[in-house]
Amino acid sequence: MAEELIRIVNMSKGYLLGDEKVPVLKEICFSVRQGEYVAVLGPSGSGKTTLMNIIGCMDVMDEGEYYLDGVAIHETAQAGLTQLRNQKIGFIFQNYQLIPAYTVLQNIIMPLIIRGMGHKEAEEKCMDIINLLGIGSRLRHRPVELSGGQRQRVSIARALAGEPALLLADEPTGALDQSSGKEVLKLFGQLHDRGNTIVMITHDLNVAAAAQRMVTITDGVLREV
Amino acid sequence: MKLTEIMRLVWLNLSQKKGKVILTSVGIVAGSATIMLVLAIGKGAQMEVAQQFRNLSAGAIDITYEGEAVSGAALQEGMSGPGGGMPSGMTGFGGGSNRNRGFGGPMGDRSGAGAGFGAGSRGDREEISLGEEDLEEILAYVPELEDGTISFSVMATVEGGNLEESTSYTIAGVKENYAQMSNLSLETGEFLSEENDENKEKVCVLGAKAAREIFGSSYYAYNNTVYLDSRPYVVAGVAEDMGAVTSGISPDEAIFIPYATGLKYLTGSQVSPVITVTAADVENVDAVTGYIEEVLSERFPGTTFTLSDAGTKMEAALGTNRTLQLLLAAMAVIVFLVGGIGIMNVLFVSVEERTNEIGILKAIGCGRGDILTEFLLEAVGISLTGAVMGVLLGLGLTPVIEQFSVRVELSLSGVLLSLGFGVLTGSLFGFYPAFKASALLPITALSHE
Repeated sequence: MAEELIRIVNMSKGYLLGDEKVPVLKEICFSVRQGEYVAVLGPSGSGKTTLMNIIGCMDVMDEGEYYLDGVAIHETAQAGLTQLRNQKIGFIFQNYQLIPAYTVLQNIIMPLIIRGMGHKEAEEKCMDIINLLGIGSRLRHRPVELSGGQRQRVSIARALAGEPALLLADEPTGALDQSSGKEVLKLFGQLHDRGNTIVMITHDLNVAAAAQRMVTITDGVLREV
Repeated sequence: MKLTEIMRLVWLNLSQKKGKVILTSVGIVAGSATIMLVLAIGKGAQMEVAQQFRNLSAGAIDITYEGEAVSGAALQEGMSGPGGGMPSGMTGFGGGSNRNRGFGGPMGDRSGAGAGFGAGSRGDREEISLGEEDLEEILAYVPELEDGTISFSVMATVEGGNLEESTSYTIAGVKENYAQMSNLSLETGEFLSEENDENKEKVCVLGAKAAREIFGSSYYAYNNTVYLDSRPYVVAGVAEDMGAVTSGISPDEAIFIPYATGLKYLTGSQVSPVITVTAADVENVDAVTGYIEEVLSERFPGTTFTLSDAGTKMEAALGTNRTLQLLLAAMAVIVFLVGGIGIMNVLFVSVEERTNEIGILKAIGCGRGDILTEFLLEAVGISLTGAVMGVLLGLGLTPVIEQFSVRVELSLSGVLLSLGFGVLTGSLFGFYPAFKASALLPITALSHE
């Protein structure tokens, strides 16, 4: 059996609203094995984005434990979390979150540049992914010149560039038309087949159905389906 | 992230917003141009002062009498003591016995003779006039002196050459060492000699401008004859162009004649000569001035002489320049402050506009240091652009300023300093916005609309 990539134990998180603390995540226990393709399904306000932020090391939990690829995230300082985001996580956002001033290629190779790699080396390293995603002809374009589907492909290419342990996708088809959404899900299937670990957050049951495993989150409580 | 990659991103961001970069850097443009011009004008003013004083050695001291002597009775009373001894403060030079012989002896003699410079005879005069004997006395008793000369200047009518009518010129009666002491060089001929002075010969040396005005050129002036107060003088030489000077006789427009000749034919006793001495060491000018005052007070009790040294005059002139420079520099600092605040404002707006971009970079692992460096380098890039434009503006404005008879001396150090100040301003004022950008939390920045 594959090793656990994510292990979350009794994680709670809340936000202060005035003097009152509103719980968002309640004693969540959740684990993902390497190579798994998991969908976290939940309605708006259920706490799924907060869960994604914590899994993505962009937010911290109030209580509990979180291990990512063996690293105790709940004990890691901010600078360490930044480094972990670069080395272990590839983000795919609903709104692509591409830097408009950069070209497609510059967006894709950015995680490697941040890692300290030179421009040329990073470009060479990403060519396989670029070819896999079929965006080789668009490398000199700016994101604004691409369609929604193409932008999401660029976003996926950037997420894969650093060969992360985990692909974390937040509503990856949310801003796409049905056809482009299907293409993205097909691509996720291919990535899963290649061995990538994917955690996908969605409110859409049809999208979640594309995953290998599904968990639901409602009012901050996570349940296996 | 590698610094080269950060710089690539900085270039990418700045090159896409050229207009914004230029507008943002306007304050720095003005500040850098001001700094560069302030330094250039200041240096120009310094050189101007140096040029204006170049007829004087730094250690030169002028001694003139501009007032009245005290009454004869008072002087007689003052001289009723042992008489003629050197002041006690003069112990720095000569042996005590020699001093007493050298100074007291002759003084007594001259006083008795009633001629020359004895205090008794001086007291009988209504006006005091410095003479060659006073110069000799100063040279004899004041230590640390290199040389000394005596001169006078009067206005006299000049005829001859191309002059259609008699014209007034400054006639300077000078000794043979005047040219050397005043850094006066000759274009043609020779300067006045000791023999000229001893024999009271009617020879002269023309200033460059005077030669041009009277004879058309120094070539025609040399060995020609000019009439001073209707007496013919042979032109023994023509001085080189010296330009304007602020102190002493303006050499270009003057006509130099032997001192004794002047006294005999032009002025008689109605003249107020100036004694000029040079201190061997510029550092000792103050001490030498003190010694001269003591010698003069011994020779002319109760009389006040004006002693002015070239260094003090230059210092005063330079002091005025420094004040002006300081004022302009203060203006430049204000311009830089305004420019810096402008940069800070624009960077704040830029951080606001690019919050989402910062969020993306942070989400994919860009650290605080990289973000800080990137934004700081953008500020430096903007201010460097402004500083370079400011230097170019300064270069462009130089000929315009020179049209207003202001001397501008551009220098590499001035250019580098204005570039440095520009970059420093951008860095200082860009730091806070850059710091603010680097401190953003990724989830806050990503959710920014």
